[in-house]
Order: sequence, then structure tokens, then C-alpha cells
Amino acid sequence: MPKRTDIKKILIIGSGPIIIGQACEFDYSGTQACKALRAEGYQVVLVNSNPATIMTDPETADRTYIEPLSREYLEAIIAIERPDAVLPTVGGQTGLNLAVELAETGVLETYGVKLIGASLRAIKIAEDRLLFKDACRKIGLEVPASAVVTNIPEAITLADELGYPVVIRPSFTLGGTGGSIAYNREEFSDLISRALDASPVHQALIEESVIGWKEFELEVMRDVRDNFVVICSIENVDPMGIHTGDSITVAPAQTLTDKEYQRMRDAAAAIIREVGVETGGSNIQFAVDPETGRMTVIEMNPRVSRSSALASKATGFPIAKIAAKLAVGMTLDEIPNDITRKTPSCFEPTIDYVVAKIPKFQFEKFPGSESTLTTQMKSVGEVMAIGRTFQEALCKAIRALEPSTAWRPPAEVNTALLREKLHVPGPDRLHWLFEALERGMTREEVCDLTRIDPWFIRQMEEMVALDQRVAASSLETVSRELLLEAKRSGASDEELAKLWNVSSADIRARRHEFGVRPVFKRVDTCAAEFESFTPYLYSTYEDEDESAAVDRPKIVILGSGPNRIGQGIEFDYCCCHAAFALKEDGFETIMVNCNPETVSTDYDTSDRLYFEPLTLEDVLAILDREKPQGVIVQFGGQTPLNLALALKSNGAKIVGTDPESIDLAEDRRRFGRLLDELKIPQPRNATALAPDEAVRAAKEIGLPVLVRPSYVLGGRAMVIAYDLKTVEDYVIQAAQIGTTSDPKRPILIDQFLEDATEVDVDALADGEDVVIAGIMEHIEEAGIHSGDSSCVLPAVTLKPAVLEQIRSYTSRLARALNVVGLMNVQYAIQRDTVYVLEVNPRASRTIPYVSKATGVPLAKVAARLMTGRKLKDLHLPVIETNGVKELAVRDFYAVKSPVFPFNKFRGVDTILGPEMRSTGEVMGVSSTFGLAFAKAQLAAGQRLPLEGTVFISVNDHDKRHVASVAKELATAGLKIIATRGTATALTRAGIEVEGVYKVNEGRPNIVDLIKTGKVHLVINTPLGRESFYDEKSIRRAAIRYNVPCITTLSAASAAARGIRAMAGHAPDVAALQDLHRRKSAALP
Amino acid sequence: MGANSEDEESSKTYIEALVVRDFSSIASNWRSAESAHEYLERHGVPVIWDVDTRALVRHLRDAGALRGVLATDGTPAEQLIAEARALPLMAGQDLASRVTTAKKYDWTQGSVALIKPLAAAAGAGLLSAGRAGKSAAAAKAKAALAPDEGRRYRVVAYDFGIKQNILRLLADHACSVTVVPAKTSAEDVLALKPDGVFISNGPGDPEPVTYAIANIRKLLGRVPIFGICLGHQLCGLALGGRTFKLKFGHHGSNHPVKNLLTGKVEITAQNHGFCVDPDSLPASDVEVTHINLNDFTNEGLRHRSLPLFSVQYHPEASPGPHDARYLRRPLPVR
Repeated sequence: MPKRTDIKKILIIGSGPIIIGQACEFDYSGTQACKALRAEGYQVVLVNSNPATIMTDPETADRTYIEPLSREYLEAIIAIERPDAVLPTVGGQTGLNLAVELAETGVLETYGVKLIGASLRAIKIAEDRLLFKDACRKIGLEVPASAVVTNIPEAITLADELGYPVVIRPSFTLGGTGGSIAYNREEFSDLISRALDASPVHQALIEESVIGWKEFELEVMRDVRDNFVVICSIENVDPMGIHTGDSITVAPAQTLTDKEYQRMRDAAAAIIREVGVETGGSNIQFAVDPETGRMTVIEMNPRVSRSSALASKATGFPIAKIAAKLAVGMTLDEIPNDITRKTPSCFEPTIDYVVAKIPKFQFEKFPGSESTLTTQMKSVGEVMAIGRTFQEALCKAIRALEPSTAWRPPAEVNTALLREKLHVPGPDRLHWLFEALERGMTREEVCDLTRIDPWFIRQMEEMVALDQRVAASSLETVSRELLLEAKRSGASDEELAKLWNVSSADIRARRHEFGVRPVFKRVDTCAAEFESFTPYLYSTYEDEDESAAVDRPKIVILGSGPNRIGQGIEFDYCCCHAAFALKEDGFETIMVNCNPETVSTDYDTSDRLYFEPLTLEDVLAILDREKPQGVIVQFGGQTPLNLALALKSNGAKIVGTDPESIDLAEDRRRFGRLLDELKIPQPRNATALAPDEAVRAAKEIGLPVLVRPSYVLGGRAMVIAYDLKTVEDYVIQAAQIGTTSDPKRPILIDQFLEDATEVDVDALADGEDVVIAGIMEHIEEAGIHSGDSSCVLPAVTLKPAVLEQIRSYTSRLARALNVVGLMNVQYAIQRDTVYVLEVNPRASRTIPYVSKATGVPLAKVAARLMTGRKLKDLHLPVIETNGVKELAVRDFYAVKSPVFPFNKFRGVDTILGPEMRSTGEVMGVSSTFGLAFAKAQLAAGQRLPLEGTVFISVNDHDKRHVASVAKELATAGLKIIATRGTATALTRAGIEVEGVYKVNEGRPNIVDLIKTGKVHLVINTPLGRESFYDEKSIRRAAIRYNVPCITTLSAASAAARGIRAMAGHAPDVAALQDLHRRKSAALP
Repeated sequence: MGANSEDEESSKTYIEALVVRDFSSIASNWRSAESAHEYLERHGVPVIWDVDTRALVRHLRDAGALRGVLATDGTPAEQLIAEARALPLMAGQDLASRVTTAKKYDWTQGSVALIKPLAAAAGAGLLSAGRAGKSAAAAKAKAALAPDEGRRYRVVAYDFGIKQNILRLLADHACSVTVVPAKTSAEDVLALKPDGVFISNGPGDPEPVTYAIANIRKLLGRVPIFGICLGHQLCGLALGGRTFKLKFGHHGSNHPVKNLLTGKVEITAQNHGFCVDPDSLPASDVEVTHINLNDFTNEGLRHRSLPLFSVQYHPEASPGPHDARYLRRPLPVR
């Protein structure tokens, strides 16, 4: 059917900041949708608060709004843009929920905007568990017995009836937030109250448990002609009870016969029809009883999802792109398959390989959190690997996870603990599983404990058996056959090296001697039935190589691997930009990455895509095949940087800044000498291996000091020590877990600059010239990890002399390190002295944000510099002061704010510190700093109140400065309440304040007030250990009851300015395309 | 997954060997009665695994369907190639007569409970005319077009290598089926007084199966005829068309077929090396009803005035998707 002509302009709603359960996959889907709709001639208006996305690049949509994803801002955008339709299905749960809100509040009707892709009715049925269950029952499908509850007594009665364990799912939350399993009534009454709170409609479903059943997902599509196809089947290795985002999954399904699979397919078709998703992709989950085959429907997502991103990457079928085209009325049979070109998209992909996905967890970042895996998603990222067999795919996925060698439990672990680790799923269960098999635990027992299907366990048994055969051999005696067999089953050189106690290089040499090298095969949607035109490749050890490398100038770009805290979408953004720029410059671009959520692993992004782990072995094999002119390592974060020196010594040409310079910047001693030579100050610092040494060093430096490991292992956090005891304890503890046994990895001790302002600077350099890209002032003071701090561009409070100093230092550092490409410097400014904290001669987390704020695509420029072009030829809009060039800033403020996953980690304190814990970021733009900050806060989920009550409790240090903040808040019309100490300080400053009890002082105390909705903003700066419990409970309550909570005085001050700016202000919105056309502001 | 008797499609296996990349040594499935290994050993089918099957597929894609030999006894490659070359080509051979039943038998067994149709089964019918006085939906809900309560249709099925799932589905649709050998004469079939005649699937080239073509011509117009796969090709030949050999045939369960009567696409299971040339069919008598969207070859036809329709793909789909299960046509009640 031809596309709709009654629609010309389409609004796409993005998914906002990266959070657990909603990550880069929606940048991938949103970007695809924008591209697909524009290719069909539609105008696209995009709104998303996340600047680190490709979709918010000004080139991706016709009109791009980086604005808070809230109803009032959306309405303002709709009023300006007057789109004909809104596509709500590519922006995750956030986009879908917002579209529903816009429909239900009449905004869509007022402005005559149609919902396309999914009707309100279909969304309602799919999203409302009860309606969905009714729909399934109506068409003769089984669903787990369940009931919806809205209060606790009723819930307990029903749970008793259903029997324990019972599953609790709050309504309308994403990533299963607030979901859990209760094994008895005591647990249940606690968990149900949390679930009801988590639900925006105070409603939860309690459900018969199908824990331990086999779990399957089908990714399906349907068009207006009612054509229906299954794109991919996915089987969860981990059974029901673990959120699919936290499960190891495999595609295609491995343990269903055709009849069982077809039954599931029929059910999926019937469901999508009954629910009424007329066009687009859906994800439908099923549980199958392994004993009887009884199949029940679990849930459906009437939109593209994390699973659909995985399915797209697993099959080569671009679900989001096709879904966008279907939404405007096209049919599957009239959309060609990009990969084969000759056949239509109306088909079901065939997979002649196996895909494994493993989630990436970071519980170590959240001490005190419960690391048991449940129905609420807790992983921060994932890797995918492709192999020709399950074993090969699993091995490749394990080594893609980083660290690349499988972690093994210590030998002294007893069997009882081992059993528990198998029975209670945690983030490392796979490793415990291998340990158990190695120790000879029977398959039956392992299956019984884990409820993992025996087929998978058998595969792992075979892997263990092969390992044991290999271990019995040696580098010298191994036969070609055995080595090949090991490689075919997925063993990495690194693993073999460990088994034989030799180096990976030895293994590689031996392999090459035997001619055992990988070949590359294509992902082509059709198992080679038709020719493929997109080189989307994976390695395996077989006969025929299909890479068909061509001889033309080419550059390999190494991606950033799985998302994790501190290394996420920002780096994928940079890698994509490198590919875009170099393609424009005539290079063949080759991407290597293993993260299925990303835009970089879209086969459309680069000329060639290698979906491979980012290990030395895998990358060298690709370089061997491609023989590129250069390799880019500085865009993918730490992952490719860690490979840089080894790649170079193996003959790879690293383009851009020399790996030696990168190494120098990371070597404290050498870098310290460089700073001395350049006469650039840095905080006093020292290293120590032993507690007494550390204490001595701390004394010399002067307290407070920042103590941290030189190599972050197992999440050992940095701490700020105000006393020597803390320093000593830290080193003793580090010694206990073995981090200091290596003299190359001492404990690092730095002078901590109290009350310093932190500044982030990004710069471009070509070896001759330097251009400062942005000087960002942090809102939170130094000591808070730069990734967890809000920042503003241009700087707001820095004096001209300080800026001058920063420019000069940055320029000198870039030249001294001979930077070609990007460099990031972190400064701390204390009493007008500028100290260098850290230099990273590579792309930083702030690159996309600065690019959006300045209108200059920094990563693209950097890629060009790395491949030989010069700054002077690129004609950037720069302003020169005292011989230093800087990108012109526009006449608006852009504030970046972090987003934290605290609501997923119960019991974790929310105070900020030197260890990064945010998962994502948002940007707020406005003509004043206050408004830009308030918008950023709103976008980050902290809606600053314009009226109501503010609770203030600050430490003694902050009491000196709290008055000005309180005054501003009071002027804005907010009532102020405070605990005793703070109240005294405020009263003394002449501010009207009401006292309130601390938690242990009586009732109603502050937590009671938060719970009952009487507090609308919490300002609580950490007091120190003695009142730890009290504070933590305040902050936890704020998170739980969704009250904005600010933990630093500087942020409180910014918030006060924001509140005053917001008051009486209608939402102001501006398209990026217009902002970038605005005049530049003069530099201070 | 292993093997079970419920999923069997014929009384014995007809493949001569199995070539796979990875062969699982265990079965894990609640319906499994034996492992794949045990099943194939019982049927004397050799398996070779650890083969770069993708390379093999790419070779066949370029070279077309080939004859092959599997050997483990160390015979030199040249000799094996010579042996393969000496094998008869599929074209020109009547393979149906080798696999057909020796004598006629009755079939009554329906589908296993696992795959009973859902209450709201997919799609509208090919020939949507339901029985008078009954809505299409009601007929669908019954999931069968029974002539009357208690009465069953009598269908005679020619066996050219019939898949048992076709028989099960006919039984599900209130048919009492008599399966007859390939060479049964039209007269003998008519003597059984069938309500309809089914022309089955089967291996190889339809052209040499001249006796079947002749029988279909005799039956045409005297009894409703429905053909699948080889049966479709035989119908095409009987109606005056020609068939030709495809380069590497259609195999697998994901072939998109467009129903030209409804404009809808169904994902189908296919397994054939020959094909009806639609241009060779007399357009005045025969209408093309289905085409393959990958290569636009013919996938279905019907006679414009007489009760005959046939499809190239396998609507009974076992294995394969059930999109085309709607294919049924009300038979006149006599």
C-alpha cells in the first residue's frame, strides 16, 4: 500500500537519558526512524533530552529539540511545529508513556495530531496487564493466574490464595522497576508496598509464579495489510524469574521443536491482532513449562524495545527502520531488504549462526545494593557475540564483557556456597556454573539448582571437557587438530595461554604456524540463500572467508563495547561521527564493536561492520584481514585505549595522538614531570604500597586527601579522607583484596582541593594548532566525579583571568602531548589558582554535549585531524584571544545534568562522590543559566518546585554559605523548614524558617513529612559518618517518594536560581537548528 | 530436541544423509522420545557434522543443485567425484512411483493436541465464500468445514510421497481419507465416490509422471481437485502448462508468497526443485493465484470454471509456519 499522503510532518519522541532498562537501543531505533521517514519524504521533528545521542544531531531530523520530556514542553513544541502525526513507538517506555499522556490530556486532539504506529487503545491493552491478560484469554491463550491490587490488605489476601512464591509487578513502570518475587507473606507485605509506590497509578499485579520455566521472546512485525512476520526468536538461558534484560539470551531459540515454535508463532500473530497493533514491531514473551510444555503468555511491548534492537543486530533485519515505514502505511512486501536488495522485507530471517547476549552488571558501584537477579532489571549494558555454534557464541560473548578472561571463583569456595551461588542467581552465575562443572558436579544437580535447560548445561560441560583435554596438552605438544578444535569451540588465545601458562602472543604465533586463523562470515538475513550487499561480519574458525576486503584507503574505528557507568553512549556517538566524517572524506570506514544496543553496530553507519569482541586477538585478526591505513582508538573510551600500545607493537598504525602520549598522560610520575616542566600546577600527590607509607604521604600532602587505586578493580571506590585513620583503613582494605600486591599498581594519594570549582575543557589539536572546544564549569564542587556533576557552557562564574589561564594551560598541554584529535583536561580552581587534575588525550564524555552546544561536530573534526587534515583548513568558527583559539559560544546557556539509577538499587545512599554512578545525562538550554539548569533538572527527573516547602539540612562547612541559597528560595515564595543546626544558622541570617525533627529526635520527623508529601525539595549535604543513618534515610525517602533531592550546596544555589527563573515562565523551547544559527556571544 | 513419533511425516526417512555444522548429542524436550542421533541411526541415515555448511550453501547458490557422495572410507576425491557424476540427474526421473504406497489405506488420525488451531485462527479464506447461512467467523471458530453434524467428507489422496501432516489436517477438517498408490487409475478413484481428490506432494520432476497427468485430466470437472507441491505441478501440466527446473530450488520455511486474490503475504514452507511456468498456462482457463516474492515464480493456480486449485508451497507446513492453513474449500454436499 502506498505511504500516507495526509501526513507531512511527524513528531518522534525519544527516550531521554540513558537509564537502566532504557539505553542506547532507543538512539538506534529513533535514529533509524528519523532516517527512514525522511527518506520517504516526510519532515521529522524530534524531541529528546539526551544530547549524547546521534538522533539529536542537527542532521538527523529536520527540527531537533533537546528539551525535557514532559507534557508541557511537548505541548509547546507541538504548538510551534504543528506536526500531523506523532510516532510514539521508537522512544522506549518514556516515549510511549508521554504519547499516551499527550493523547489523554487532549493535547493531540487540540492540535490535530494523529498517533501512528500504535493506537491509544492498542497501547492501553498491551500495557495494562489486566486488559492484556483478558485479551489473551479471549483468544484461547493461557496466562499466569493473577490479580490487580491497589492496596496492601487486598493484596495479601489474594497472594495467600495464589500461593507463594508470587510475582509482583507494578503497573506502568519501565525495566520492571519495583518488580519482585515474594517467597512468603512477610516478604510479600514489604515488597507489595514498594511496588505500589513505584507505580504511577498506585497499582500492581500479583501473579502466579512461573519461576524456573523456560523463557522465550518473539520479535514480530505487522503491517496495515495484516501481513505478519517473526523477525527473530530469542531463548533465555536463564529461566523465568530473571528479567530478560538481566538474562543471558540466545538467538535463535535452541530447545523448541518446529511444532512448539509454530504454536508460539501462531500465538504471537493472534496476540498482535487481538491487541490491535496495526503496524510496527512488537515483542512478545512466553513461558514454557519444561515438564509439560504448557505455554503461557507473559507480556508484550507494542513498540520497538531492547530485544528488538538485539533481534535487529542478530538477524540484520532493521526492525525500527521498517516499523517507521509501516507506520506511514507502507507494507512489508513493498519495502526491499537492504541486505539482499532483490528480495522484499516481507520474510522471516534465517540464521545460520548462533547469537549470545550477556548482560553487564556493576553492583560494585552501588555498595549495599542487593545483587540477586530478579524481575527488576539491574544490568547497565550488554554484549552480543556471533558464532557458528552456541559454544563459540557464548565464549565470544564472555570475552567481550571485559575483563576479557572469565572470572573464576577462588578454589577454597566450598560446595555449599557453590550450590547457593547456582541457586540464587547473581551477576556472576555463569562463572560459578563453569566452576561447578569443573569440579565435577553432575549435570542433573546443576540443572536442578539453576533451572537452566539441560541442553545449555550440556554445552557447557562439553566446553569444560575440552578445556581439560587442552590443559593436558601444552604449547609444544598440542596438535593442530586439538588447537583448531579449541578455537572452533570459541576458546580465546588468552584462555589457552592461561591453561598452558604462556603468553597470548605465544598462542597466536603457534596458531599462525599451524595456519589456524579465523575466517569472516556475513550476517545476511537469509543464511546465504541470496547474495548480500552489506558487509556485516563475524569471525569463526571455518573454511570459507566472505569478508571480500577491498583495496582502498580505509580506517578501522574501535568501538567502546558494553555500556557501563562512565563509558556509554557518548563514546558510541564519537565512533559514529568518526565513521560519518571519514566516509565523507572518501575513506572506507570499518567499525568494530560488540554492543548490540548502539548506532555504531547498525550496518548502515559504516561501510563495513565487524561485530566482534574488542580484545587484542579479535582486533588483530580484523586488521590482518583488512590491512587498513589507520586505526582509531581514541573515540571508544577506555576499551580501545587499553589495546592501543599492544596494537601498535603488533604493527598497527594508530592514527591521531600517539599511544605513547596517551600512556604518558596516564603515568602519574611522567605526567607530573611534564607539568613541572610546563610550570602548570597540580594538586600535591604521592603513591603508596603500604599503610604506613600512605599515612606518611598523606601527612606530607596535608589533609584532606583523595585516596584511590591506580587501577580500578572490582569497583574499589575513591574516598576523600579527612583524617589519617581513613587513609590507613583504606590501604589495609585494599591490601586485603590484593589490589596493592602489584608494585606497578600502588595506591594514589592526592591533595584534595576543598571548595574548589571544577572545570572540564575539551580541545581539538592537529599537532600544530589547538582549538579550545568548550570550557565547562561544574555546578558541583571538585571532589564529585565529573560525570556525576552538572556543568554549564559557557562558564558562569569564572573570572576572565582564570579563563585566560585555562586556555593557556590547555593549549600548552595539547602541544606538549602532541595531541592529534581530541583532548580533555579537568581543572580545579581554588582561590583563583588553576590546578590540573587530569588530562585525557582522547574523546571525553562531554564531546556530544559540547558539540550540541557549539554547533560544531567535534568528533567529526577530530577524525579528520587524525587522518591528516589541518585545523586551519577546516574553517571552524573560532575567536582568538592572546594567541589561543576557542570555538565561539552562542548566546545561550547549555546545562548538562546527570541521571542516577538509585531507584533500582534499594538501600544505596545517593550522595555524590569521586566515584561515578550516573548512567546518563540530559541537557537543558535557555537564555539564562537558572532556567537552563531548571530545565536540565526537570529533564533528569527532578522537577524543581515553584511553590511549597523546601527542607534544608547542611553540614557545618556549608552552614557558612547556606543563607544566600535560602534567601533566594524564600524570595521565590517557598517555605523553608530545617533541622536544628541549619535552622539556627538561617534564623541568625534573618531568614524565616520552621524547625523539624531529625529521624531520631521524635515524630513527625522529616522522613514522615517526605512520605506524606509535605516536602517538595530536599537540600541535604552530607554531614559525615555520625549521622549517616539519619541522612541516608532522608535521601532514600526522597528518592522513593520522588521528591527532588540535592546533595551539594552549589547545586542548591543553581536550583534556587532556576526556581526563580522558572516562576511565571511558560516553557521556552528552541530547535537546535535555530540555536546554532544564533549569533555568537563575545568571550569574557 | 530429539525426535518423537508425533512429529513424523512418513513411515520412514527419505533423506540419504544429513550434513550439519553442529550436531547436538543430547535431546532436551518434554516430547522427546529419543535423541536425533538415535533416531537417524535407527533409520540408517549417516550424519556428517563440523562441516562449513554455509560455504556449501554459497556453493550451491552459485552452482545450482548438485549431486553428491558422502564417504568416510578414504576413497580418493577424484573417484568420489566420478561416482557423484555417475548418479542419475533428478530431471526426467519418475521418483514418485518409488516412494508411493504399495496399496491403498484409510487415514483418520488428526493433529496432536499441541498444535490445535487457536480459537481465532489467522486470516480470511482463500475462497472466502463460506457455507451459505453461516458467517465466515463462525466457520472459522469451528475450525472445520464439516458437511453436517456427524458426516465426514470422503477424500481420495494420491500418494506421490505424501506428508502425513496433510492427512492429519484433512482429518481435522472432517475428511475421511483414502490414500491410494500413485498409479491408481482415475476410474478406480471415481469408483470410491470421493467428495474430492487430493494430489499429493512428492519428490523430483513432474514431467515423467505422465500417468498422473493423464489421470488428473480425466478427473478434472468430475470431482473437486486440490494439489500441493508436486501435485500442483502435475495439475499445471494437466491443464496444458509446462514446468522447468529451478537453479537451486525453494527449500525452507520462510518463503514469502503473495496471495494475489487478497493481496496478503503468507510465510510458507517449501521444498521443490521444479516449478510451473505461468506463461505456459492457458489464461482463459487458469488463473494464477499465488506468486513467490523472492523470485516471482508461480506458487498457486485455480481453474476459472472447474473445481481445481493447487499450491506450490506446503500449506500444511510441518515443519513451517501455519500462515497458509486457511487453504480449504467448501465441498459440495451430495
